[in-house]
Amino acid sequence: MMQRLLPFFTLIALFVGLSLASPHFLTSANLGSVIRQTAVLNIMALGMTMIIIAGGIDLSVGAILALSGLLGCMLMTSGYPVWMGLCAGVVVGAACGLANGLMTAKLRINPFIVTLGTMGIYRGVSLILSGGLGVHSLPKGFSYLGEGSVLGIPFVLLVLLICGAVVHVLLEHTRLGRYAFAIGSNPDAAFYAGIPVAFHTSAIYAAGGLLAGLAGMIEASRLMTGQPTAGQGYELQAIAAVVIGGGSLRGGAGSVVGTLIGAFIMGLLSNGSDLLGISPYVQQALIGAVIILAVWLDELRKRSAGVGGGLLNR
Amino acid sequence: MVLELRSIQKCFGGVQALRSGDLRVAAGEVHLLLGENGAGKSTLMKIVAGMQAADSGEVIWKGQPVRFRNPAEAQRAGIGMVHQESLLAPHLSVAENIYLGREPRRGLGWVDRPRAVRDAARLIDEHRFPLRAEQLVGSLSPAGRQMVEICRAVAQGASLLIFDEPTSSLSDAESQEVFRIVRGLRDRGASVIYITHRMEELRELGGRVTVLRDGETVFTGAMAEVSTPELIRHMVGRSVETIYRREPLAPGREMLRVEKLSRRGVLHDVSLTLRAGEIVGLAGLIGAGRTELCRCLFGVDRAESGSVHVEGRAVRIRSPRDAVRAGLALIPEDRQKEGLAAGLPVRDNVLMASMQQVSRFGFLDSARVRSLVGPGGDQRAGQLSGGNQQKVVIRKWVLSGAKVVLFDEPARGIDVGAKVDVFAAMDRMARDGAAVLMVSSELTELMQVADRILVMRHGRITAELPRGATQEEIMRHAALESLP
Repeated sequence: MMQRLLPFFTLIALFVGLSLASPHFLTSANLGSVIRQTAVLNIMALGMTMIIIAGGIDLSVGAILALSGLLGCMLMTSGYPVWMGLCAGVVVGAACGLANGLMTAKLRINPFIVTLGTMGIYRGVSLILSGGLGVHSLPKGFSYLGEGSVLGIPFVLLVLLICGAVVHVLLEHTRLGRYAFAIGSNPDAAFYAGIPVAFHTSAIYAAGGLLAGLAGMIEASRLMTGQPTAGQGYELQAIAAVVIGGGSLRGGAGSVVGTLIGAFIMGLLSNGSDLLGISPYVQQALIGAVIILAVWLDELRKRSAGVGGGLLNR
Repeated sequence: MVLELRSIQKCFGGVQALRSGDLRVAAGEVHLLLGENGAGKSTLMKIVAGMQAADSGEVIWKGQPVRFRNPAEAQRAGIGMVHQESLLAPHLSVAENIYLGREPRRGLGWVDRPRAVRDAARLIDEHRFPLRAEQLVGSLSPAGRQMVEICRAVAQGASLLIFDEPTSSLSDAESQEVFRIVRGLRDRGASVIYITHRMEELRELGGRVTVLRDGETVFTGAMAEVSTPELIRHMVGRSVETIYRREPLAPGREMLRVEKLSRRGVLHDVSLTLRAGEIVGLAGLIGAGRTELCRCLFGVDRAESGSVHVEGRAVRIRSPRDAVRAGLALIPEDRQKEGLAAGLPVRDNVLMASMQQVSRFGFLDSARVRSLVGPGGDQRAGQLSGGNQQKVVIRKWVLSGAKVVLFDEPARGIDVGAKVDVFAAMDRMARDGAAVLMVSSELTELMQVADRILVMRHGRITAELPRGATQEEIMRHAALESLP
C-alpha cells in the first residue's frame, strides 16, 4: 500500500520541499502559473490514460493539439463567435482521434505506427493551412479560457477537474471504461467475450483526440495565437505522466488520479527548477531520470507483490 | 544420490510457496513429482534450475552443497529444464534455439551456423525426433517445441533433466512419444525429474515418486509400492474414489444443429446435433480439427459452407460477438491467452460477456454488479490458481446465460480437486438447460463426463459412440491409419 502511494507522497514531498527551498514557491501567483502551465499537459494526459489502459498509444496528440488550436483560431478570426471556434477545435480533435482509432482497430495497424504517421500528417496539415505562420488578433474574450479566474481559482483548473471527474467516471463506472481495461489487459479474451472491440477502441481514441483538441484550445488561449508548431513533444510528456502515475504500456492498468499526480510531479519539477535557478538543460535530464525511476519503482512493487515482473518471476 | 534437497523454503510477497521441500533423486532414475497446482512443484524445480533463489534450505548436487544464482550456472553444472510454457525464441530456427547462448564459434566471434545446423541434425537423428534443424520454432506444435527444449538440455550435457508438466499440452499419442524419449534418456544414465498431473500413464516410467502438498513433501516412495488412490489421497489430503462420474440426464430439445460445415483443409462436412441437458464429448488427435470446429462455430474463423441452427433457428455467425448473441459460449483451450484478463480483478472477468445486463445507458449499476459477482470480486484473476482461473472463465458464461457451451480442453493443467469442480460446473450448466460440447485429449475424462462421444479425424466426424465406449474403440476411430 505504501508503495502504491509513492507517487502521491513524492508529489507532497516535492511540494513541501519547494515551499521550504524557495520563498517564491508558495504564492498564489506562482501556484496559479504552475496550474495553468500543467493544465494543457494534464488534459492531454487524461486522454492518453484511457488510450494506454486500452493497450494503445497515441503519438499524434501533440499534432492534434496544434491542428485543433489552429483551426479553432482561424474560425474565430474569420468572424465566427468564440464558442463556435472552441467547439470546432474540440470536434477536429475528436475526428483526428477517431481516424487514429479506426486505422488501429479496423485496419489492424499497430497504434505506434498509425499515430507516428498521423503525427506527421496532422502536423503537416497545420503547416500547409497556416503557411507556417501563427494566427493572431483573436477576440479578447477568448483569453478567459486559459487565463481567467473564478473566485481566484484559475478557470483551467475547473476545466481540468471536470475533465478528470468525467474520465474517472467513464473508466470506473461505465461499460466503455471497463471494456477499455478488458481490451488492454487481454484483447483476445475481450474479443472472445463478444465485446465489440473495434467500436470501443475507436471510441477511446476519439475521446483521447477530443481532449487533445480541448488542450489545443487552452494552449491557443494562453498564447492568444493559433500556432501550427504548438505542442511539439507534448505527446511524450503526456505518456510520461501516465506511466509515472502507474499506467502500464502493456495495457490494462492506469488511473485518472495517478495520471494527474504524474503530470503535477513533472509540472512542479520544472517550476521548482526555474525558481531554484536550475538551467532548462538540466531540467530535461532531471525529468527524464524521474520517469525511469518512477517506472522502475513501480516494477519493483509489482515484483514484490508476485505479479508481472521479469522473465524469471513468471 | 545425485540431487538432494533439504527443507527448502520460499516465500513470494507473504505467500509461503514452499514450507519444507525435500527430494532425493538417484542417478539414472525417473523420479515423478506430483502435487496439486500451487503445491510448490514448479517453484521447487525452479530453485534447482537456478531460476529462483531459496529463502532457506540446502541443495546438494553430486555431493556438494550448491546455490545456483542463474540458469546458466545450473546448466554448466549439468541440470537442464524443459519448461511448462516453452521458453524458446519463435523467430529462430530449431538449431539456433538448441545452441542459443552457446553458439559454436569460428575465430573473431563469428557464429559457425553450418556447424550448429549439422550438430543439431545429428542430435535430432540420435533421438529420432520428427524435427528439422532449419525449421522455425514458431511453426512447431507444443510437442515439437518440447522436443527442441529436450535437445537443448541434452546438447548442454545435462545429467539431470527436469520436465515441468510437459504432457499437459500434448495429445495422448504425443505424450507417448515424450515418454519414449524420457526412457531413452534414463537408459543413457541421465536422471529425470518429471512433474505431472497424469499419473496413470506414468506407472510404466517412474522409478520413485515424491508428492508435495501445500509446499511440503508429504510422501516419497517406490512407484511400484503405491496405488493411484493412495497417491491422490496424498495429493489432496483426503480420499477421492473415482475422480468424477456424471449422472446422465434425459436429453431435451435440440439446442444446436450443425449441417455440413466445411472450411478448406480444416473441416469437411461436419454435422452434429446437441440437445439441452447433454454433455457431448469430442475426441480426436491433435490436429484432427476439434479446436478448429469450436473456432468456426464461435465465429473466430469462418466456415466456407454449411449451416448452423441454434434452438431451431438458422443463425449466421461471423464473429464471436454474433456467437455470443446467438447464445453460444467458448471456454478456449488456451485460458491465459484467450480466456482470462489476468491483470484485471475477478469482477471484470466474470462480467466481461454480461456488461449489458448490469448497465443502463452505458453506466454500470454497482448494486447489480455486487449481487452478481459476490465476494472476492476484487482479487486479480492472475493471482488465482489455474483451477480457480478456469472457474472464473466458466462463470463468465454462466452469467451470460449461454445456451450452447463449447469447452475446449476444460481440465487441462488443473489439479484433481479443481477438475471435479469444473466437471460439476459443466453438469450444472447442462442441468439448467444448456447443451455442452466438451473437447478433450484425455479419454478417461471424456468417458467419465460425456453422455456420448463424437470422434474426429482429419477434419471429419468419423464416429459417434455411446456412453460406455472403451478407450480402444475411441482410439481406433481417432487414429485409424496410424495404428499398426
